[in-house]
Amino acid sequence: MTPPRRISLDDWDRRYAELRRAGLREPAYGGDLRRHVTEGDTRLLRLKLDNSPAALRLWNFLLSEEDRLRHARREGNILVGVLKDLGTVPVMAYALPSVVAFYPDGAWWLPCIMEHSTALLETADSLGVDDSFCPVRAMLGAFVCQSHFPIPDLLICSTGATCDDLSAIAQRLEGLGHPVFWWEIPHRRPPDAGEPSVALPGIFRAPRRQVDFVRAELERVRALLEDRTGKPLSVAALAAGIRRANRVRALLSRLRRRAFTATPAPLPALEMLIAEMLAIHFCSDQDECIAVLGALLEEVDRRIAAGIGPLRHDAVRVFWVNPIPDGVAPLEALARTALADPMAGSPLERAERICRDAARFGAEALVISRIPGASHCALEGALIGHTVRRRLGLPVVEIEVPPVADSLEPGLRTRLEALVETVRSVRLPTSMGPGGLQ
Amino acid sequence: MDSVGYVSPFVPPEWIAAHGLRPAWLTLDGREADLPEGARRGTCPFAAALIVEALSGSAAGALVLATSCDQMRYAAAYLDAHCRVPTFLLNVPSTWQTPQSRRLYREELDRLGGFLAARGGRPPMPERLAATLLRYDEHRAAALRARPAMPAGQWSRTLIALRSDLATLPEVKASPAAGIPLALVGGPQPAGDARLLERVERAGGRIVLDASEGGERTLPAPFDRRRLAADPLDELVRAYFDTIPDAFRRPNTRLYEWLAHHLAARGVRGILFRRYLFCDLWNAELHRLRRQSGLPVLALDLAAGDDRETDRSLGRIEAFLETLTL
Repeated sequence: MTPPRRISLDDWDRRYAELRRAGLREPAYGGDLRRHVTEGDTRLLRLKLDNSPAALRLWNFLLSEEDRLRHARREGNILVGVLKDLGTVPVMAYALPSVVAFYPDGAWWLPCIMEHSTALLETADSLGVDDSFCPVRAMLGAFVCQSHFPIPDLLICSTGATCDDLSAIAQRLEGLGHPVFWWEIPHRRPPDAGEPSVALPGIFRAPRRQVDFVRAELERVRALLEDRTGKPLSVAALAAGIRRANRVRALLSRLRRRAFTATPAPLPALEMLIAEMLAIHFCSDQDECIAVLGALLEEVDRRIAAGIGPLRHDAVRVFWVNPIPDGVAPLEALARTALADPMAGSPLERAERICRDAARFGAEALVISRIPGASHCALEGALIGHTVRRRLGLPVVEIEVPPVADSLEPGLRTRLEALVETVRSVRLPTSMGPGGLQ
Repeated sequence: MDSVGYVSPFVPPEWIAAHGLRPAWLTLDGREADLPEGARRGTCPFAAALIVEALSGSAAGALVLATSCDQMRYAAAYLDAHCRVPTFLLNVPSTWQTPQSRRLYREELDRLGGFLAARGGRPPMPERLAATLLRYDEHRAAALRARPAMPAGQWSRTLIALRSDLATLPEVKASPAAGIPLALVGGPQPAGDARLLERVERAGGRIVLDASEGGERTLPAPFDRRRLAADPLDELVRAYFDTIPDAFRRPNTRLYEWLAHHLAARGVRGILFRRYLFCDLWNAELHRLRRQSGLPVLALDLAAGDDRETDRSLGRIEAFLETLTL
């Protein structure tokens, strides 16, 4: 087995040639990573990437999504642009044949991966959506430029207790002639005394009537999808869609548990982050998403069995992705999942969940990475930091990372190094548990 | 009688008053710098002012906030963690097209009733609720009739009284001076705004339409007497939830319909757009407002309690007025 390492793109050129000579078999979207740089993804030149074939597949899958969407359009599929909700509507959309769902708000990362060569933020600026908004404003530029993802046939946006930045920008999209179907996620609140309530995926409970409300909203989404596709979205089809989505989430759950608790860490944080993203939107191909995550998990298992990894130790804090409950009616299950979104409730509840996950994975420090301009980040970061310090006594550092952060890197690095040093200085020789920072 | 402070026009003061408590529309004059360091960056000055006011204990005996923007939702959580003043977060759906959104708002008013009862209020019988609603309705109607004769500062104080316990309604003293008709559009006004509005009028402008968060844009529709008699709470829901146009509503087409009608009806020649840094909901509308209204728009950034900002704004307003006189 080739020793796991984080390598540069130049190294990957050599590594790819080696793998090809050794008989590497790839899916249709496979190929060397260099071609993505040629297509504009110049950030790759500055990243260190995991050197496994599974990581190659992951990166190729991620960076070929726009091609996949264009192919889906040519094939006559209906493209559904899903805005904001973290993984609910795509499950419904993928339960229908000939429908492909994707998140146009994923355009937030284009200025990062393409290093400002896109003019997306400048276009958003020209429309009055400046850097007082979070990087999701790149989506507005992408709709205007029409040079990235194909314009969806249908836009479905969750609103209410979601995110003002995205809601305001989606409203502007509607003003630019892109009709939006709005559905509501109410602010999740704790059940009142004696009020009937329901357990949500994760650790939260919600009042029964809030779940009923979201279920009714999802019924509206279902009616819309049926109307636009001319096909019924049956309970059986929905249930099958949930089972497929749960396969993705189960894979991710195993991957997280394995990667975050093994020593040494078997996979770098960057690849883990991308794996998390896939579980939300499947990167426009649910079946392939399962295959990509499966390959990643196999690689992780191999490395753990061999006691090797690209890092000595890793303690990256990553938020939990909820499983969708099985054994209940499909729309009820999806309603509970939608309400379990940490952003739908109080940040104090979110802080509790972070405490639970931080303790579970043996984290020794917490990094709160704020999104610049995001209206929910200001007070949320303060509340999470306060709760984690009080409950777990962990050192906390709060950083803010814009889409292109190269000029800030020295300052960010200094703060993160100071955090690591703080952990080291207080760590006793016996306290270095799994996932500890080094 | 305990006071219940609020800042959202979707919190009906009649509902609080009908419970025997005193509604108080909060005009905030907080100082952003007083917010704890870790919570300062990215917090809109209005939410910061609210937090500072609540932490000082001077805001009210209890607070009612609404979920209509992120900053208020998170401010409610912040107060939950750091403040002893009981705070109720009213869930106001941003969608308005469906019966379930309307029902949710009504259920939330019921829950608010429970909160008020726990603060010493008495759940109103339908007759008392209807009588309270009528009293507020009549005062609003009288004030709206008197509005054309009021200077902007006085109208602003009248609106505050209409949203509070009606005890401090100012008398109409003088007709406003003639001037260039202006509209005020945007988010909530800070406490110092009345002074700014008076200075706008001295500079040759005249606010003929207050479409800010606390302005007449967000006054509820007049109550229907027949429906009021049948189900006063449902009529309250209709007058507030079904009719108030706002930037956060999805879609917010009714905001532009309301503006188009009133800007034309009042002969508005220029718009003063009031916005807070980090208020995404209003900031995103500026470009669209310019395009849809076809009127000159002057954007005024706000920091609550910042007199220097007020002075700077006045200089810009004077220049704006000069361009409108050309």
